[in-house]
Amino acid sequence: MRSFAYVRATTVDHAVAEVTADPDATYLAGGTTQVDLMKDEVFRPGRLVDITRLPLRDVTSDNGTLVVGALTTMEELAAHEVVAGRLPLVRQALLLGASPQLRHMATLGGNLLQRTRCRYFRDPGVACNKREPGAGCSAVDGFNRMHAVLGTSPACIATHASDVAVALLAVGASVRVRGQDGERVVPLTEFYRVPGSTPHVENVLAHGELITHLEIPLLPPGARSGYLKVRDRASYEFALASVAAALVIDDGRIRAAHLALGGVGTVPWHVPRAEELLRDAAPDAEVFSAAAEAALSGAVAQSGNGFKIELGRRAVVRMLSTLAEES
Amino acid sequence: MAHPDIGEGIDRVDARVKVSGRAAYPTDHDCPGLAHAVLVQSTVGAGRITAVDSSAAKAAPGVLAVITHENAPELHEARDRKATLPPPPLQSDRIVHHGQTVAVVVAETFEQATEGALLVRTEYAPATPVVDIDDPQAEHVHDPFGSDDGTGDVAAALAAAPVRIEQTYRTAVNTNHPMGPFATVASWDGDELTVHDCTQGPSRTRADLAATLKAPQDTIRVLAPYLGGGFGSGLRTWPHTVLAAVAARHVGRPVKLVLTRKQMFTSVGHRPDTVQRIGLGATRDGRITAIDHEARQTLSMCDVNTEMVSRVSLSGYASPHLSARDVQVRVNVPSPGSMRAPGDGQGNFALECALDELAHDLGMDPLELRLRNYAGEHPVTGQQWSSNDLRECYRVGAEKFGWSRRVPEPRSMRRGRTLVGYGMAGTSFFFYQPPCSARITIGRDGHAVVGSAGMDLGTGTYTVMAQLAAELLALPLRRVRMVMGDSSLPQAPSAGGSGLTGSMGSAIHAASRNLIRSFLDLVRDDSGSPLHGAGEGDVRVQDGRIVRKDGGGGESYEAVLTRHRREELTAEGSAEAPAEDRPVVPTGPYAAKFAEVHVDPDLGVIRVARLVTAAHCGRILNEKTARSQLIGGTVGGIGMALLEETVTEPRTGRIANGTLGDYLVAVNADIPDLDVHFVGGPDPTNPNGTKGCGELGIPGTPAAIANAVFHATGTRVRRLPLTIEDLL
Amino acid sequence: MDGSAPQARVSPGPQARPVVRVPVVLRVNGTEHRIEVDTRTTLLDALRDSLKLTGTKKGCDQGQCGACTVHVDGKRVLSCLTLAASADGRAVRTIEGLEQNGTPHPLQESFVKHDGLQCGYCTSGQIMSAVALIEEGRAGSDDDIREFMSGNLCRCGAYPNIVAAIREVAGRGDDA
Repeated sequence: MRSFAYVRATTVDHAVAEVTADPDATYLAGGTTQVDLMKDEVFRPGRLVDITRLPLRDVTSDNGTLVVGALTTMEELAAHEVVAGRLPLVRQALLLGASPQLRHMATLGGNLLQRTRCRYFRDPGVACNKREPGAGCSAVDGFNRMHAVLGTSPACIATHASDVAVALLAVGASVRVRGQDGERVVPLTEFYRVPGSTPHVENVLAHGELITHLEIPLLPPGARSGYLKVRDRASYEFALASVAAALVIDDGRIRAAHLALGGVGTVPWHVPRAEELLRDAAPDAEVFSAAAEAALSGAVAQSGNGFKIELGRRAVVRMLSTLAEES
Repeated sequence: MAHPDIGEGIDRVDARVKVSGRAAYPTDHDCPGLAHAVLVQSTVGAGRITAVDSSAAKAAPGVLAVITHENAPELHEARDRKATLPPPPLQSDRIVHHGQTVAVVVAETFEQATEGALLVRTEYAPATPVVDIDDPQAEHVHDPFGSDDGTGDVAAALAAAPVRIEQTYRTAVNTNHPMGPFATVASWDGDELTVHDCTQGPSRTRADLAATLKAPQDTIRVLAPYLGGGFGSGLRTWPHTVLAAVAARHVGRPVKLVLTRKQMFTSVGHRPDTVQRIGLGATRDGRITAIDHEARQTLSMCDVNTEMVSRVSLSGYASPHLSARDVQVRVNVPSPGSMRAPGDGQGNFALECALDELAHDLGMDPLELRLRNYAGEHPVTGQQWSSNDLRECYRVGAEKFGWSRRVPEPRSMRRGRTLVGYGMAGTSFFFYQPPCSARITIGRDGHAVVGSAGMDLGTGTYTVMAQLAAELLALPLRRVRMVMGDSSLPQAPSAGGSGLTGSMGSAIHAASRNLIRSFLDLVRDDSGSPLHGAGEGDVRVQDGRIVRKDGGGGESYEAVLTRHRREELTAEGSAEAPAEDRPVVPTGPYAAKFAEVHVDPDLGVIRVARLVTAAHCGRILNEKTARSQLIGGTVGGIGMALLEETVTEPRTGRIANGTLGDYLVAVNADIPDLDVHFVGGPDPTNPNGTKGCGELGIPGTPAAIANAVFHATGTRVRRLPLTIEDLL
Repeated sequence: MDGSAPQARVSPGPQARPVVRVPVVLRVNGTEHRIEVDTRTTLLDALRDSLKLTGTKKGCDQGQCGACTVHVDGKRVLSCLTLAASADGRAVRTIEGLEQNGTPHPLQESFVKHDGLQCGYCTSGQIMSAVALIEEGRAGSDDDIREFMSGNLCRCGAYPNIVAAIREVAGRGDDA
């Protein structure tokens, strides 16, 4: 790890000012991505601004929306009664991520910003466009079993690794962002950027902007929701494919549908087309299969990850049929 | 009569120091003036170093030295090419694998050494590495161990066989990954070197260091009282251990060198990948007539490694025609080494899957096929087994598992939507009992101290050796203290090959007899002793005393020592390896494994639901630690079956999944309850009746699981690990 | 090498940066330690190298094995990904702090009884994780124990015995 200056932020404004003013500065929250990548020499900040003592840890329920301070840890949010009662898919996604120790450290803001597990991104000894624009992508010709099949470009096929971002995306959550010029709210559907020719740009945040809160709309009472994560190991592994879904089924018809995929996309993958297919349809195998087709539509296989396309489809069908079978 | 401290549930004697965090592993060792060393490793897979610029590193705060091939001292090759010492590091500009050590940076602190290592700039003239076992350009070494063997005419027997299985099986590279990253703390006092090292053999590491540094053995002391696991990684003296000693001499201070987890992939060995061709011939009633087994495995460029894969087929089944051959394929990968059940782990997978395929083709129960072809004597040499209760393993394992509930047809058992499969495999593990010495001292306080250079890597050696000494001297366990893991103690083999219990146990057996003889010598002319004039055959030990068999009384060790004004009495003992060229062949342990797997038919996810092992491990000194050995090996076998694969990139030779987040080992949630049953009796080869059990958990486990997956799904996967994509 | 293959790169930036040291107060097992650390020093290395509390182990140094598990402000966390500077003033509990007046914690006893360890290297982390797991109320079933202990790798494969040790202390006896 390279040497750096350490600053403990006292207020949100202080934090934002410190980082905005210094192009070599960055935030430190739970540290589970930041410290790891500094050890790997992927990040070499000259200054770390520690925000862990800022008052951004409250969770409040307000008019059908859960407002979550960005420093709330994964474990804290998973334990919140409103999440357990009204957002089961979010709770499941949280508890299927990482390990208990990491979930006690990792914050929600940090989780949304976590960096890919691509071993080429994480090894400064090899070329990576995300780490070093223009250097080339070693994963395309490399070992890419874990890599993305959706949202890829010739420049980058790295998978976005978050579980909870997939669930939050599915239910239409937004982030509140503070910058030096004030605050803005960005829906997650507009937050992430697919790599295209600029894989180093992963989201819409400008340098120094800080996620302060998440706004999560609650599912209506009676909604069924869940998060299905498929992986080799029974626990403590990132997804090969995952599905976050919520359905409101009434009188034999799907009245509302939310669907997003993880483990298969360069960003958490929202599938509005599949949601449209499901809406007002009878919850049967045919429409689930159509939704699965739509969900993986446009998928591109690499040498080692072609199976993810079929696995993703099957996971969508399984998730939806499991929800439909719930009484 | 059974000693109270032998048999069931004895807590391991080193458990308390371990659960309190007080056990000092090599990496915990601290000393005044300690400097820290960090390795720099190559970023190309083959070629030459054209330039090294260490100026920035040397200028970095706290950096004391940078050692590269340009300024490293001359180190010496081991003379014996079967040696455990890989080629010495930093002796030339040649790169033979990605992740080869090219420099070591020494600094005041760990953080400074780490930064210094990042500042060493190395330029290479890269060559194209050869990394694939199937690469036609790779050099092949035939019969590398001189172990190719067989009997009869396999080709003719196969051609004539009414039923034939001819298939190719593959196993992946696995990396040992003990939880404790390997570490060395080296310090010099003049020409005397002390090394706290992650080694499974302090005696061997001392000899290897002496050879490579050209120093007399008695100037070197190697200590490894605790080791954070090894699984074979500690069976060779790796470059980092040598470099810690070199660095300490270079900076004139003690040096600690701890490998990073990433470096654990490239620096301390691995289980080589294999491609195995098996041919089985059989009659329609299930008599095997031919077994033909050719096993290819990878080997690094400038090294030797002993890994006998195909030999499992020479002793496994009674077949009149047998052939087993090994081939090593040289590629640009790091030096391999042993990993828990070397050779047998991979070889058993191929043989036992082929047996399952044969059973399926014959329409015969896989267990019945194995019973029908049980080898009652060595199939090649005709020797009798010293002990072999494999059939009892099959019987007990099948009964405990409920094998009779298996519906033969694949894909016929379900629980809800989940496919259920039952699979089984049999296994043996080879016999190994190298020479060993031990020393026992009994003091006037009636306590015994037992010393041997051999070490306990977590297997329970401290515990079972203390138990054994307690039994042999008729002392309570609490009055026996083990001192181990120190090369200054009587020489011992490495903890490997499931051999140390037999070796050290035999040495302690000899030492205890010698010690009792020394006591008898002391009282030979002592008319005050009821033992005076007694010979070894006239006495036995009982309740902390030596007593006359004829009822003429006896006395305690303390009483003898006190009367003779001796503080203590010491004796050493040694044991040689048993001869193998005799009518009876010494045999290792046996086991039968029965696995139930659950497979999600849509998602391809495989989980082991339960696994029953019935094992013949000779006399069990401690059922608790022996059971832990079997359980632990089985966990490793489950990883080998379903998770573990070290991926080397074909074009660069770089390990593509070099972290514990990408190279998957089993976690707690992967492991169901594991049922272990010990069967059979003591083995007469060993004076204590023991067989090793450290490695027996591995072989048989992957095959039982793969066979269960076939039974669950009807899909035969002939490659480890079995993963989701195999079943979609 | 194929011309289109990604080229290997030499090490990054040419020059070292000056060391930055900051004062921290580490409250470990009830004792306050005022020390100065390199900003890069992790809580793990501070415990081991500065405070000589070597019971906490470094297994991977990148959050993938759990050997370094300690409690910070009552929660189990990974000390290898926690900067010492960031732990300033927090209450840290390590394996050395489990004994009370010389009496081992029940989980330490239970790990001995059920042989929940072999080499012992992961054991501190396992026990610290298990103490937290019981406090979190997650020892209700064997499956829960397995899942919520999955952040602690054990390469010796003591998992079933670890589950048994935790089950006993959680008060569920032998009901699987």
